[in-house]
Amino acid sequence: MLEVTGLDVYYGDAQALWEVSMHIGEAEVVSVVGPNGAGKSTLVNAVMGIQPARQGRIVMDDVDITGVPGHRTCRAGVAIVPEGRRLFPALTVGDNLDLGAFNKRARQHHAESLEWVYALFPWMAERQTQHAGSLSGGEQQMVAIGRALMARPRLLLMDEPSLGLAPLIVDEVFEVIETVRAEGVGVLLVEQNVQRALDISSRAYLLSEGRIVMEGPGQELAESPEIRRAVLGV
Amino acid sequence: MNELQSIVFGVLTGSFFALIALGISLAWGFLKVINLSHFGLVLIGSYLTFQLATSTGMNPIATVAVTAPAMFALGALIQWGFERFEVSELNSLLISYGILIIMIQVVQNTWSADFQRMDPGVNPYFVQSIAIGQLRFPVPTLLAAGFAIALVLLAHYVLEKTYAGRALQAFGQDRQISSAFGIDHRLLGVLLAGATGASGAIAGMLHALGQTLSPDAPFEWVGRVFAIVILGGIGNVTGTLYAGLLVGAVAGAVTFIWSASVAPLVVFSLVVLALIFRPQGLFLRKAEH
Amino acid sequence: MRDRGWVVLAVGAAALLALPFLRDQLGFPVFYLVFVSGALFWAAQATSWNILSGYSGYFSFGQGAFFGVGVYSLAFFFARRGLEWWVGVLLGGLLSMLLGLILGTIAFRLRKLRGEIFALLTLAIPFILVAVVRLSRTIDGGQGVGIPVPSYPDFLRPFQHFYFVLSVLVALLALSLAYAMRGTRYGWALFAIHDDEEVAEGLGVPTFRHKMIAIAVTGFLGGLSGAVFALNLGHVSPEGTFNLRVPLFVIVMSALGGRRHWAGPMVGAVYIHTLQNRLAAAGFEGWSLIILGAVLIALVLFAPDGLMSRFTRRPWTVTGVLAGVVIAMGLVDVGQPVDRLAVAMLVAAVTAFLPGGKKRRARVGETATTLGGVVPGPDGEGMPLPEVGRPLVTVSEVAKSFGGVDALAGVSVTVSEGELVGLVGPNGSGKTTLVNLLSGALPPTSGSITVDGVDIVGMTPHKITHLGLARTYQIPRPFLTLTVSDNVAIAIMFGRDPKGLGASRDAADAFLAMVGLDELAHAYPSEINLHERQLLEMARAMATGPRVLLLDEALAGLNPVEIDNAIAVVSRIHRSGVAIVLVEHLLRVVNQLSTRMIVLNQGLLLAEGEPAKVLSDPDVVTTYLGKRPNA
Repeated sequence: MLEVTGLDVYYGDAQALWEVSMHIGEAEVVSVVGPNGAGKSTLVNAVMGIQPARQGRIVMDDVDITGVPGHRTCRAGVAIVPEGRRLFPALTVGDNLDLGAFNKRARQHHAESLEWVYALFPWMAERQTQHAGSLSGGEQQMVAIGRALMARPRLLLMDEPSLGLAPLIVDEVFEVIETVRAEGVGVLLVEQNVQRALDISSRAYLLSEGRIVMEGPGQELAESPEIRRAVLGV
Repeated sequence: MNELQSIVFGVLTGSFFALIALGISLAWGFLKVINLSHFGLVLIGSYLTFQLATSTGMNPIATVAVTAPAMFALGALIQWGFERFEVSELNSLLISYGILIIMIQVVQNTWSADFQRMDPGVNPYFVQSIAIGQLRFPVPTLLAAGFAIALVLLAHYVLEKTYAGRALQAFGQDRQISSAFGIDHRLLGVLLAGATGASGAIAGMLHALGQTLSPDAPFEWVGRVFAIVILGGIGNVTGTLYAGLLVGAVAGAVTFIWSASVAPLVVFSLVVLALIFRPQGLFLRKAEH
Repeated sequence: MRDRGWVVLAVGAAALLALPFLRDQLGFPVFYLVFVSGALFWAAQATSWNILSGYSGYFSFGQGAFFGVGVYSLAFFFARRGLEWWVGVLLGGLLSMLLGLILGTIAFRLRKLRGEIFALLTLAIPFILVAVVRLSRTIDGGQGVGIPVPSYPDFLRPFQHFYFVLSVLVALLALSLAYAMRGTRYGWALFAIHDDEEVAEGLGVPTFRHKMIAIAVTGFLGGLSGAVFALNLGHVSPEGTFNLRVPLFVIVMSALGGRRHWAGPMVGAVYIHTLQNRLAAAGFEGWSLIILGAVLIALVLFAPDGLMSRFTRRPWTVTGVLAGVVIAMGLVDVGQPVDRLAVAMLVAAVTAFLPGGKKRRARVGETATTLGGVVPGPDGEGMPLPEVGRPLVTVSEVAKSFGGVDALAGVSVTVSEGELVGLVGPNGSGKTTLVNLLSGALPPTSGSITVDGVDIVGMTPHKITHLGLARTYQIPRPFLTLTVSDNVAIAIMFGRDPKGLGASRDAADAFLAMVGLDELAHAYPSEINLHERQLLEMARAMATGPRVLLLDEALAGLNPVEIDNAIAVVSRIHRSGVAIVLVEHLLRVVNQLSTRMIVLNQGLLLAEGEPAKVLSDPDVVTTYLGKRPNA
């Protein structure tokens, strides 16, 4: 479904990613783990089209979306749950969800999508008029996921969803990921919490210092000493 | 004029300045552009109203049917230029200053530097006035206030209640992520600039209804308008209106107590105090409480 | 170069001053003196504007205010109150300077939008002044004020000669000040503020003070020049004084000539004045503002550095073109001499703006980094690890919240002499917040921070630097318009052991050598790669003479070879006696370098101690690798 080949991404003239290649199949959860500063967020932003790639290709469902700006990438079926949530702070929960469906493809199914999101997160229906900035971290994370789902994606990009959340909330988040996958949405999961991510993924990639240094089934990576070395440096 | 009359008059004219301030504030808050050429759009709008009404005898108020689309196009074009050249906030100030100068000079070349005013036959509103209780106000002032308040409320409604308006708010709050959800910032920016241009045409028409026109009018507006923008909070629609009314009331009171020329000094002092103690403006958006 | 400028100024001034007395011999009409007087007036005003707005980057639309205060000071003190003309002129300068200082006090201390708010304030000020002037019967009252002819020495008769001499003197003063500032630390402080005020403050530049000096000079010169100009007017009026001309012209003149160069505004003034003059003579006065507006827009978009920087790329060609056109037109006897000058200047300008021309060679040689090796220097292993001494920085129960989020929830940390402390933690752990609190960029919500026993909470960053704490930035922030060497020199000029301009430039070499950038001393930051820019950050911070150095993710974005090089440099800095706090993601690097490691997580201290011990602490492992549910 998603095919990334030979991706080079720069911030100014600092190279963040070197020849990154990966793929995600339909309804798969694939993790990208690795130490901080490895370039995981950069990878997500590049796929979403909000960060330009200098070299390489990104193909989604046989459509080349390399270099396509963000506001058109979402039409190709990609949606993002950004690092740090990044809800629209001065808008309400309802507004944030509504705007998730802004792109033309998703707008036609606005009502359906909203029903689905409220089914997943019943509490949101009651708090539609609450300002997003006043929600707790965990609630914001759920709304961010809901917003992305409103865009009717085939591929969901999740950037560090467990960041700053209490363990119980993290449990809930990961349950949602599993539910979403079961509904046929593929997930590219970028996570600091290596164990959790690997538990839920069918496959995973280890990204270190801007390069893919390992890939394979989730369990295999979980048991390898490479992970420990890459993240802890020992 | 007694004190109450002076203050109410100030409030009414204050709403007119709030209308101009709205154009500046929205561009600054949402597009990150400080667009001095907005004053030029108001100026051109006022002279076009004058010309159209004088040449064709059409009702001056109706001239906005022509001037609003024209200023929409001009405003959109300027914003397109800013986007195309990726102009920074500080440079937008300089470039729009250059555009404003050009506009003023073109107006002066076309209509001369002499004062111009529509004839009473063309513009009956100029001499009319209406009594409200003990107070008496010129019709143009009342019209200006009415239009201004209506437009501000319209802008507020569009931003808060329509889908596109909320998309615009999202764009103002997080450009990158709003783009990831399909909000095309270029298109939105150009449309917003066009809309503020059209509002400038309306402000120009209102100005022409009640005042004598002169090409360097923008420089008399600048101080007060920026006072309103800063006091109201950049990008805050209702705040801008309240600030306009407040500044107008203060100016009115000061005019009565001392004289009209002291008013700018007092307004300026207000702005200075606001900058020192509350740089984000006096009127916060609800979400920031 | 320094001495050349003074010679040029002296010779130029002498030549101009001689002109009135040679008029009979040379046989030119007085019109030319009047024309040059005008050019000199604009040169003075534009140079005055440029000192604040060009050098330091604080754009002012209010030059008309300084000009106007000067004009009306003369009108009031000389015309209305009968004091001597030169008293009026002097008061014009001083009152104008006072206005500048008031504006500066209001706008220069703001945290956000300083530049923009200042620009808008200056846009509004002239129109406030107009209102005051119109109102006050004592000053004007609306009808304007007549200016009588002042009394002056006989040998300067007629009046145009006298006025010409005054114009030369004022312009000379302005140019001298502009030139002198370039040769002292004050000017360079302004350049640093222009490029990145926050960084300049962090390197020890007292930014507020320097901006006030700049606006005082700008105000004084603007007022002085305005007062002198008023002597030449028979009559002044509010509208004639406080209008668009002065503010607009000085901006375009400086932008055209070049805002970095001391003579840029003067060159621009000559250009625009000539153009203006010829347009008016040809009857096109209505076009001049349109052209000026268009020129301003074109300059901002396409040639922000102006004429002088282009001229210096091909000085002989441009001068040749200028002379050639004047001579050619003279031979064919086309137009008046001033017309020929105008056309020649236009052609010369076009030539200068053409792409191409001699470019400086920046890279003198390869550096060790480009050769892929480790920077040579005192061997890291050869030098002993410094001993751990007394505490230099003490952080006590420090907390910081942003809105409702606790970035730091109560952290206590000490850094002692000789230590290299590695500060690590996952994203959002509060590392960067802690660095920002230490450097004074942000105030803590609660808790205390002392450096060398002195409480630094609420202190302006430049004073913290003077106490001995310096920092680098994760994304390097060099002064883009200064060379690598001058970037370091600024830090020396305003650091803990400040030196003058020349001495600082000489001393910069040593710091460049320490990080291996000596070959690139004359390059500009845009010409060097990321790793080199990070090394520049380190050299620059070291040049302030710190006791403690905060390195904020100095290795971000580097390839393995560059990382090894950076490690060697950091080690060398440490062994030279500077305590270091190293904020890093790459744990293997921290492991290698640090004498002690601190791990933050979610705003709290998680673990502290020897690197090996910390990295095998189960809590730390869990933080980084995550935990299985129900583990």
